[in-house]
Amino acid sequence: MTSQRADQQRQWLDAQLHLLDRQVLDVAGVPIAVVDDLELADIPVGEDLPVGTPPPVITALLSGPVLGTRIFGGRPPESRLHRTPWTAVSDVGVVISLAIRGETTDLTWTERWVRDHVISRIPGGRNDPEREQKDSSASKRGSS
Amino acid sequence: MIITDLLGARVFGPDFLGFVSDVRFWLDTKSIGQPAQLYGIVVSPHARSSSLGYERSDVRSPSPIAALVRWRHRGSFLVRWEDIQRLDVGRINLRPGFTKVSSQLP
Repeated sequence: MTSQRADQQRQWLDAQLHLLDRQVLDVAGVPIAVVDDLELADIPVGEDLPVGTPPPVITALLSGPVLGTRIFGGRPPESRLHRTPWTAVSDVGVVISLAIRGETTDLTWTERWVRDHVISRIPGGRNDPEREQKDSSASKRGSS
Repeated sequence: MIITDLLGARVFGPDFLGFVSDVRFWLDTKSIGQPAQLYGIVVSPHARSSSLGYERSDVRSPSPIAALVRWRHRGSFLVRWEDIQRLDVGRINLRPGFTKVSSQLP
C-alpha cells in the first residue's frame, strides 16, 4: 500500500520517450529550445561501481547543433552545447516548461543579438506593438 | 556524462544481453525542482534504436507499426541502477545475479 502511494507520487521518465527532442518553453510559454541531450551528474566511468552507489541525477538539459553528430556519429564539443539547469524545470509533459524567462539563458542569444544589432536599426524596429496597443487602450479609457 | 553516451551501449552480464534502448528516471512530483534520479536502463536484445514506447505502454495503434516495433524490441527488459557494475564508453557490465524487470512503464 505504501509503495503504491509512493509510486503515485513518482513521475516516470524514459529519456528517449519523454525528454529528448521535446520542446522547451520558458515561463511565458515562449518556445526557446529543443532538448538534444541530457547531462548526468558525475558517474565513475571505467571503474567498478561500489554497491550502494547513489544513482546519478539529471543536472541539465542540453541544446545545440547535433544534426551532424546524429547523422555521422560523435558528439559536439561541450562549448557548443547550451545548458539549462534541471532545477529550472517546472513541468514535464508534452512539452518541458521552465520556471525562468528565456532571456536569462544562453539559448536565445542569437535572437537577442539579431534584435539588438539588426532589427533595432530598421526604421520602426524599436517599436513594441504590445506596448503601443496597451498605451492606446489606456488613453481611450482615460478620454472616456 | 551525457545521456547519448549510454544510449546504444552494449550490455553484458557476463554474456552479451543487448543494447541500451532507453534510460529510465523518476522524480518526486510533490514539489517543483525535484531531481530526476536514474532508475534503470531498458535493454533491448535485438535493436539499439528507440522503440517509440510501444513495448512500454498499452498503445496498439497504428497496428502495423506497433507490431513491427514490438517484434524488433521483443524480449526487452529493465535493469535497475543497483544491478549495474561498471560503465565504460559503449559498454555496460551488470552485477552477477542481476534481476530482469519488466520494461513496462508503471
